[in-house]
Amino acid sequence: MKNRTIEIMSPAGSWESLQAAIQGGANSIYFGIEQLNMRARSSNNFTLKDLVEIAELCNKKNIKTYITLNTIIYDHDLILMKKIVDTAKKAGITAIIASDQAVINYTASINMEVHISTQTNVTNLETIRFFAHFADVIILSRELSLIQVKEITKEIEKQQIKGPSGNLIRIEIFVHGALCMAVSGKCYMSLHTANSSANRGACMQNCRKTYVVTDKEDGHQFDINNEYIMSPKDLCAIGFLDQVLDSGSNILKIEGRGRSPEYVKTTTQCYREAADAYLEGTYNKEKVKGWMSRLKTVYNRGFWDGYYLGQKMGEWAEIHGSKATKKKIYLGKAKKYFAKIQVAEFDLETQKLKEGDNILITGRTTGIIETIAGEIRINDKRVEDVNKGDKFSMKLNHKVHPNDKLYKVTNIQ
Amino acid sequence: MIQIAYKREKCIGCNYCIELAPDRWRMNKKDGRSVLLGSRNKKGFYTVEVNDVEYEANKISAQVCPMKIIRINRLNK
Repeated sequence: MKNRTIEIMSPAGSWESLQAAIQGGANSIYFGIEQLNMRARSSNNFTLKDLVEIAELCNKKNIKTYITLNTIIYDHDLILMKKIVDTAKKAGITAIIASDQAVINYTASINMEVHISTQTNVTNLETIRFFAHFADVIILSRELSLIQVKEITKEIEKQQIKGPSGNLIRIEIFVHGALCMAVSGKCYMSLHTANSSANRGACMQNCRKTYVVTDKEDGHQFDINNEYIMSPKDLCAIGFLDQVLDSGSNILKIEGRGRSPEYVKTTTQCYREAADAYLEGTYNKEKVKGWMSRLKTVYNRGFWDGYYLGQKMGEWAEIHGSKATKKKIYLGKAKKYFAKIQVAEFDLETQKLKEGDNILITGRTTGIIETIAGEIRINDKRVEDVNKGDKFSMKLNHKVHPNDKLYKVTNIQ
Repeated sequence: MIQIAYKREKCIGCNYCIELAPDRWRMNKKDGRSVLLGSRNKKGFYTVEVNDVEYEANKISAQVCPMKIIRINRLNK
């Protein structure tokens, strides 16, 4: 196990999530630029102007940065695509995650690191040998079993399949987050029903709803077992992460660029801890229980093992939306922070807050703070609780910035 | 008259509007987003007033736009 490093890769759909990933201990982050990425609709994508700042921030902390440029590409996208790749290289971004050959070929041609997206659906060694001409990291299809993954990593080493960098091809796999009914995300459903192509980053997620089947002859309608038959539960590999890592993959990816910063921080922390425990030889069932209960607190559709452990089909989500055991309620914004006395000022725009409540603060620079509400004061007078419209100050050990968002965190019964 | 309004920064370059109303839309190959021909930009909202004959084609463009960033309004003129 010595000398083995495991990379935890976290999603950064916003500045808040990017900071949360760093706080959670991510070794790398991935994010979209402009509209050419698979979350063009659902996450606040970064712009070309943000690239330098992201690269500087992450390079300083030794965190690798990957741009997802993995939609299908039309002719009219080529100039923008090249501009993104060129700007990324100049800014010091680590690599481009690509699926379209145009992006793969162009990125490799300017000697920038390429990662082959799961959208490319790589399932065998010969395909890896092909992409090794262009790429150093290959993200395998999410439908492979760990036995198949292991076979692939073993053969890469045995046959010394190397990428453009001269190093052995590294294999990356998904360990946590949404799966979809389509093979490796190549889905036509959203385009077919809503003119909104998933492969251009505009998935409408209509697979996540319930449907009825109508008998055309007599009009009878049937609920399909009351299940969300097209909506798989979310992948969660933490319970068998030892087997995942035994398969030889060293890069573990967490899905969720459309998710909140607390999701990013919690999932990153749990997988980082689990990977470290594996390396130290202290990975065990008790620890898994702890990680599982933490993972359940943030967005999830219920968990299953994905396809990694082989045949186990029919794990469909039972609900639309999240099964998270905690939810956050928006309260207001931060106004000021007095570092000397460790007090923060807030505007309570809605709801109420009392001392001792679990709170969450997120912001572009702040990232995410999870803590308990301390002493609350209005006009320097101590109060038990504050209500909508109140301007109040609160004891807080962490620095916050103006316009950071304040939330109350409650358990869902 | 009708007014066509378009929030350009959200465009993902799917090309539908151009295929359905080619007289009013073009692709900008520099940034891969549609251009509403003849429009003025006011804080990211592009608007143009055109003759009723363009209503049908642009109405369909607005309906199929995956990002729902095209609005067609009839003007009482």
